[in-house]
Amino acid sequence: MTEIRISGGAVHDPANDVDGEVRDVCLKDGKVVEDVDPGARRIDARGMVVMAGGVDIHAHIAGPKVNAARKLSPEDRRDDPIERTGVLRSGSGGLVPSTFATGYRYSLLGYTTVVEAAAPPLAARHVLSELRDTPMIDKAFLILMGNNQVLFELIRESGGAVSAQLRDAVAWWLEATGAYGVKLVNPGGVELWKRDNGNVHSLDDEVAGLGVTPRQVLSAIGGAVDELGLPHPVHVHANNLGVPGNADTTLDTMRTLAGRRAHLAHLQFHCYGGKPDGLPRSRAPELIEYLSGHPELTADVGQVMFGPAVTMTADASVSAVLRDLDGGKWINHDTEVETGCGIVPYRYRASNYVHALQWGIGLELFLLGRDPWQVMLSTDHPNGGSFLSYPKLIRLLMDRAFREDQMGRANQRAIRRTALLDGLDREYTLNEIAIITRAGPARRLGLRDKGHLGIGADADVTIYHDRADREEMFATPRYVIKGGEVAVEEGDLRRSDDGVLYSSRAAFDPEVGGVLEPLFGERYTVVFEHYPVRDPALREPARIVEAAAR
Amino acid sequence: MPELGPVTCAGCGLLCDDVTVETANDGVRLWPECPRGARWFSERMRRRDEAAATIDDEPADVESALARATELLRGARRPLVHGFEGATVEDARAAVALADRLGALVSTGSLAGAWPGAPAVPLRGASTATLGEIRDRSRLVVIWREDPETTHPRLLERLGFGGEPSERTLFVVDDRDTATARRADVRLTWPPERDLQALTSLHVLQRGLPVADLTAELSGLVERMRQAPHAAFVYGPGLTDGAGGQRRALALHELVRALCHERHVVTLDLPRAPGTRSADDVLAWQSGYAGAVDFASGHPELFTAIQPFDDADVTVAVESGPGGCEVAGGGVEVSIRTAAPGVEASGTVHRLDGVPLALQAPQPEDAPTAAALLARLLAEIEP
Repeated sequence: MTEIRISGGAVHDPANDVDGEVRDVCLKDGKVVEDVDPGARRIDARGMVVMAGGVDIHAHIAGPKVNAARKLSPEDRRDDPIERTGVLRSGSGGLVPSTFATGYRYSLLGYTTVVEAAAPPLAARHVLSELRDTPMIDKAFLILMGNNQVLFELIRESGGAVSAQLRDAVAWWLEATGAYGVKLVNPGGVELWKRDNGNVHSLDDEVAGLGVTPRQVLSAIGGAVDELGLPHPVHVHANNLGVPGNADTTLDTMRTLAGRRAHLAHLQFHCYGGKPDGLPRSRAPELIEYLSGHPELTADVGQVMFGPAVTMTADASVSAVLRDLDGGKWINHDTEVETGCGIVPYRYRASNYVHALQWGIGLELFLLGRDPWQVMLSTDHPNGGSFLSYPKLIRLLMDRAFREDQMGRANQRAIRRTALLDGLDREYTLNEIAIITRAGPARRLGLRDKGHLGIGADADVTIYHDRADREEMFATPRYVIKGGEVAVEEGDLRRSDDGVLYSSRAAFDPEVGGVLEPLFGERYTVVFEHYPVRDPALREPARIVEAAAR
Repeated sequence: MPELGPVTCAGCGLLCDDVTVETANDGVRLWPECPRGARWFSERMRRRDEAAATIDDEPADVESALARATELLRGARRPLVHGFEGATVEDARAAVALADRLGALVSTGSLAGAWPGAPAVPLRGASTATLGEIRDRSRLVVIWREDPETTHPRLLERLGFGGEPSERTLFVVDDRDTATARRADVRLTWPPERDLQALTSLHVLQRGLPVADLTAELSGLVERMRQAPHAAFVYGPGLTDGAGGQRRALALHELVRALCHERHVVTLDLPRAPGTRSADDVLAWQSGYAGAVDFASGHPELFTAIQPFDDADVTVAVESGPGGCEVAGGGVEVSIRTAAPGVEASGTVHRLDGVPLALQAPQPEDAPTAAALLARLLAEIEP
């Protein structure tokens, strides 16, 4: 393997308390090492900024819903082709790129690890197949468990408490699918949507006929994940996404989860005041204050960026609302026993009150959060906008003048209803950007070798020109090194790399199979023994992160 | 009588994975019974005497066949990769990789009836569901001009119409006397040329607006739909093939979309062949487009021309028989036997509702899989 010395760059490695110190970083055998041979390749990074490779904790890049979105919107990619070369496969870009294009473009952006945040367990083979065709990045996926009828049965039996059976079932599902973590989306609500377009509206609404409430699902599965000691805590898309007044539900969700580790997904979409049928207002300050007081909780923001987006979610009732807003394209897909899915191409307009408010709320969360380790950068790609808009978002955080200019272009009524005009002059530092784009997500994912440049870390490194225009700087890294090899140089991909799949594993009593099998038989149209993914070509190679039971 | 199972049957897009196969001198039997599945297993379990490869129908060794196929592909001006009737996800991944390198046109349909047209879903979208959702929730199922009792023999059983009395209702729209139509609770027998008008009228009726020439059949269906909190439409080539197929499909999805405002309604598409869904999904994730994609310009472009692929000079047929790939052009035809997925080789396949499943290999065989063969061809062609 190549040995590399990155020489003379300003290193931003907040996980190791390094804040812009000029020092060398040495890479060998895919790891960060103390030193390398004098003959090692030397990258002159003088005047440049050196960070670990970016880590995206929440994006939608692979699986049936992503692929359905590709089929739904061919026009989105028509003008954004990616040519094949001697090294690279061809593809198409747009908001939902083809798999190869997804890997290439994340790499060109300096990201080296990405988490697919919502996969139906039943579709694990599909997700794994796509991830195997997504090069350049390391990847993992979270499985949807918040509307699983089999788990509802176990939760009902335990009266909403964490039971040994439930812990075993969660661990069994991870083992069966090769997933990395557990995602809850609108717990209980999706089940009712699939039944008759229903939903739940509070954490104590009963999921009719199934004898559980969203609060019980949150407590029981969140608790099971916590007690199993999975590397990533339960990842929660709370109930009532997008509904004015949903901040009450979100606070209730955080209170329900408090005391245990949990991650709130795309918090921006859950910070709204107002009445359900009225216009929303911001309650971001209140929510970020609560979050700041609970270090066991973290969130990614789900920033909205003005321009085109594709909304795709397991929370299919939300998609039906968006469908009716503009009457455009819409996909709904119901997956038996487990989840739903909705897809609507969308556009966020600066002049639109609601969109501008969403934009402002996202910025409030970033700027009011006291601890950047708790608030991570995401656009919920492609829901709030493409991951390609991350550099612009970084500039909004780092460059107050640019932010104020952009605020001036947005709907002023909305902006006035945020805290952005209240002297919120914070500008993120490079170290804070390093926290919210790599160190923080890696730590929250439990990926100990990611997100930092300490000895023994994975040799995933991004080197940027230190430009005053932070958008340009973060859009075009000078070098991206993946696994100790130079992948990107001066904006060109130099090699292809398969990337590594991450899975997690927790011990469980195999007798749980005897509990699950009859519950499967009554519900699934797939034979129980055929449900687990065993094909080595899909499961391997993978890095397994073991749980540390609490 | 050796029994194998449960295994996944890829005899049709249903991919029933609860199948036990019993082999005997007089043939193959399946439990649960399925004549199509039995025929599918039988064809693949009796292939051991076939030549490993042929060139112009003459037996050849695999290496010679590969060399000839490579030569054909290297000289191809307008290659076409098609077939996929029995392909796995792995086969399709390798086939699209080869097409990308060759700058070929890929069609997930067969050459017979190769009129790709433009699918309706990208125009407006669709509401869909897996089999279990329809079985457990749909009070009303409408089968539109399809005969799954013949093409997907266990579909009705898997959708919960197993023969026991039920409060659920099975509507069949078809003027033919099919096996499926004979099982309908309600039959609607207008001719195919009235489908578009019927779908449009249903759309208008469900909005409570008057329709000229309203038939009792249509008003009965609308009334049933109004009473059902959850309903499903099953359709396929019977609705979408031929002139105006895209408009009819679009009308169906528009109807379903409108119905969805008051109730939950989904559709289920019956594809032509068991491998079609897998190939379509792979083509979509690797290129960004489904159906037919042209790589000739160095990047993928959606191919929507309403015309046959008659300018192709070299064709690669992927798993379009009981296990084999063919490369043909310039009067030469090279055929290489592959291990039949689901009998001789394992793999991954996507059920017609998108659920990915494993195919087992109850009778493993040393022949290469199509995926391995296509990867080898790619390696030979690479500079």
